[in-house]
Amino acid sequence: MSSEIAQVVAFLRETPPFGALEERAIAALSRTITVRYARAGDRILQAGQHNDWLFVVRSGAVELRLAGEELTARLTQGASFAYPSLLRGGEVRNETIALEDTLLYLVPAAEFHRLRETSPPFRAFFSDDEQRRLRHALEQRAQGRAGGFDGASVGDVAHLGAPVSCLPETSIGDAARLMRQHKVSTLTICADGKLLGIFTDKDLRNRVVAADVPGTEPVGAVMTGNPRTLPASASLAEAVALMASGGFRHIPLVDEAGRLSGMLSATDILAHLGNNAIDIGLSIARAQDAEALAAAARRIPESFAAMARSGTQPAQLARFTSALGEAAHRRAAQLAERELGPPPVPYALVVFGSLAREEQLIGSDQDNGLLIDDALEPEEGAYFEALGGRISDILDACGFVYCKGGIMAKNADQRLTLAQWRARYARWIDNPDEDAILRATIFFDMRCVHGEAALVHRLHEETVSAAAANRIFVSYIARDALRSKVPLGIFRNLVLDRSESGEKVFDAKAQAVVPVVDIARTLALGHGIAAVGTVARLRALSELGHMAGEDSESLIDALAFVNELRIVHQAGLAGAGQRADNAIAPDSLSPLEREHLKDCFSVIRRGLDSLRRNLAGGIA
Amino acid sequence: MLQGWRFRRGLERLAQCDVPALRNYARADWPERAAPARQARFIALDFELDGLKDNAHLLQAGWVPFTVEGIDLGGARTFDIRSGKRLDDAAVTIHGIGEQRAREGAPLADVVAALLGDLAGAVIVAHGASIERGALQGAVRKLHGAALPVRAVCTLAIERHLSPRLTGTGSYRLGAARNRHGLPDYDAHDALTDALAAAELFLAQLRRLPADQRLGTLEAMTP
Repeated sequence: MSSEIAQVVAFLRETPPFGALEERAIAALSRTITVRYARAGDRILQAGQHNDWLFVVRSGAVELRLAGEELTARLTQGASFAYPSLLRGGEVRNETIALEDTLLYLVPAAEFHRLRETSPPFRAFFSDDEQRRLRHALEQRAQGRAGGFDGASVGDVAHLGAPVSCLPETSIGDAARLMRQHKVSTLTICADGKLLGIFTDKDLRNRVVAADVPGTEPVGAVMTGNPRTLPASASLAEAVALMASGGFRHIPLVDEAGRLSGMLSATDILAHLGNNAIDIGLSIARAQDAEALAAAARRIPESFAAMARSGTQPAQLARFTSALGEAAHRRAAQLAERELGPPPVPYALVVFGSLAREEQLIGSDQDNGLLIDDALEPEEGAYFEALGGRISDILDACGFVYCKGGIMAKNADQRLTLAQWRARYARWIDNPDEDAILRATIFFDMRCVHGEAALVHRLHEETVSAAAANRIFVSYIARDALRSKVPLGIFRNLVLDRSESGEKVFDAKAQAVVPVVDIARTLALGHGIAAVGTVARLRALSELGHMAGEDSESLIDALAFVNELRIVHQAGLAGAGQRADNAIAPDSLSPLEREHLKDCFSVIRRGLDSLRRNLAGGIA
Repeated sequence: MLQGWRFRRGLERLAQCDVPALRNYARADWPERAAPARQARFIALDFELDGLKDNAHLLQAGWVPFTVEGIDLGGARTFDIRSGKRLDDAAVTIHGIGEQRAREGAPLADVVAALLGDLAGAVIVAHGASIERGALQGAVRKLHGAALPVRAVCTLAIERHLSPRLTGTGSYRLGAARNRHGLPDYDAHDALTDALAAAELFLAQLRRLPADQRLGTLEAMTP
């Protein structure tokens, strides 16, 4: 006599979290199950009833009606329900109705509790706490990832040991001979053990031969001084981002005392990862005209898709993509300046929103502006008008399409002097009104990508402290954050939002990412935290005691999970040559992913609730 | 009326026989034919046979007890049945039970004893129940020389009653009938799987029949 029910075992094996159990345990479980049938419209569970079963939908669909609210959730094949009642001793609070003819597998409560005790994945899945469930899910996914970024440091892949080096007084000719002797393309220039600069094959071509500098001159005169360095403990991801945004291929590694300890080349990383972000970063940084830049920048989605396929973590992928975006913006400004001549007064190209937060994926439009020194004379305005227009045009050709809301250097109200920007921010902060706030929140995520960084730095610091000092302003942005429509549940084809909704897809950005970004921004501004990245803001909030560590980590997890779904979705579109969007069809998700997405929604809704309690009422 | 009387008389005869399994079967608490079907105990039963001829051998048996409240998989049983006979090649390709496996199965007498134990007081449910009824009665006659009175309902007959005007070959097959009731696809031709499939189908059919549907009326539909 066989000891398992083949069809039931086959189903459980494919159904989370039962699939995580050992084969023997699944076979044993199959024999404890009772099969029940419900016709469409039948009531399966009623509030107030006592329940002794974990229900699993084998086929069909049921609707959970949450007690006391007009909210519903539709569960389909593979979904489990009624476990909250088991966790509270059997008391049923939600009504469950069969929406279709439904076949149900019922696991006895005793078996459910036994499995929770003996199987950690089972317990984590049916945790009464969706935060823990989400954490567990992310851990599982991270384990399944193939990519080589996790945990790797630059010291792991670089050539450690003192690189070939010489003194700044060494003649260019001797330096070149040293490079030939050691077969290196990069020479480090040091004095007293301190790194002063690097000298590369490219420098030899551009700054010596092409510039008719005699080989007897000291190499110190033609080297690249103060090169960007990293400690050997830095992550590989950081190095890729630095190379991609800076458009260079070598990074000297230094120890705690600033002494040279090795040289990291793009080749080392490529050999380790097969990642072409650095190559694209180089093509962007070296583009000699707008056309070459656009050609290079249009390869960003391809690089994105390749990195997504290789299993790069969501946060790192966003960091690389942002780094390439930043490089493209910087180069666009440099090329525009080359066409129009040097700027009459210092200025900065500022980016807002996701690029400023270094959280950009592909398919974003441009959000930028010019911040011009107050020394600007009226007749010099024409230069910046031309510059802003040119930058926006180049970026549009690069795939960063014109901003629908007009937040781009092409528009006059995005080309302001420091004093004018200050006045604009002061209007938002001192006289907030709902309409203005709606369009202004992304201005509180800003970063300089080209030009006079000090101007942006000053404006940002002033803005953050002014915002923190104004409770009414903070309550306005909190209320703005609360407008976001986080789905309440996932239906087979659509995500329901208070029972009336015709949408067949879920907007992963607007309905999940934006609320987390809003929560982090609102609380960060409310507490005068200058960090711009969402994760950095959430971590700072918990470190400073303004948010429970668990809550901040859960929001970070929710963001990571949703971004992972977005990345897979966008990589698929990029692979098919389509323009990226954030419209994810719940049908394309696995039952497990749908479960975790529901957990994300619930974490985010709780974050918004807490925002409502703490800040939105500040006006009263 | 007459069917009920015939079943009672059959049980009385069986009670006289000296086989314990048959005597227990005869003395079980059997449901009234006039009682609502929703109160009865059922056994969904499926045999895999060596062909469809009258002398076909039983190769595999699978059954699972249930009531309207649900199918208890803990009670599910399945046996390969020992047979030394050459098997019908056409049948082997359908159910996949080869001669080797048939030689290693349980003796028919043991399987029938186990089945009769579970079946006492319960109504057989099968898709094409006349096959299972005939095969079981044939086995009991061969083993014990006794006529076994059997209570059975046929999901195929009920499906014809519920959806009388379907055309096309196969519209009343187990899989097709299940699809009409929103039940999932199962791999066919494993005795226990087919028994479970029939049990689920019967639960679905029961939900579409009147709540006070008499058991006897359903039994009378069985050919």
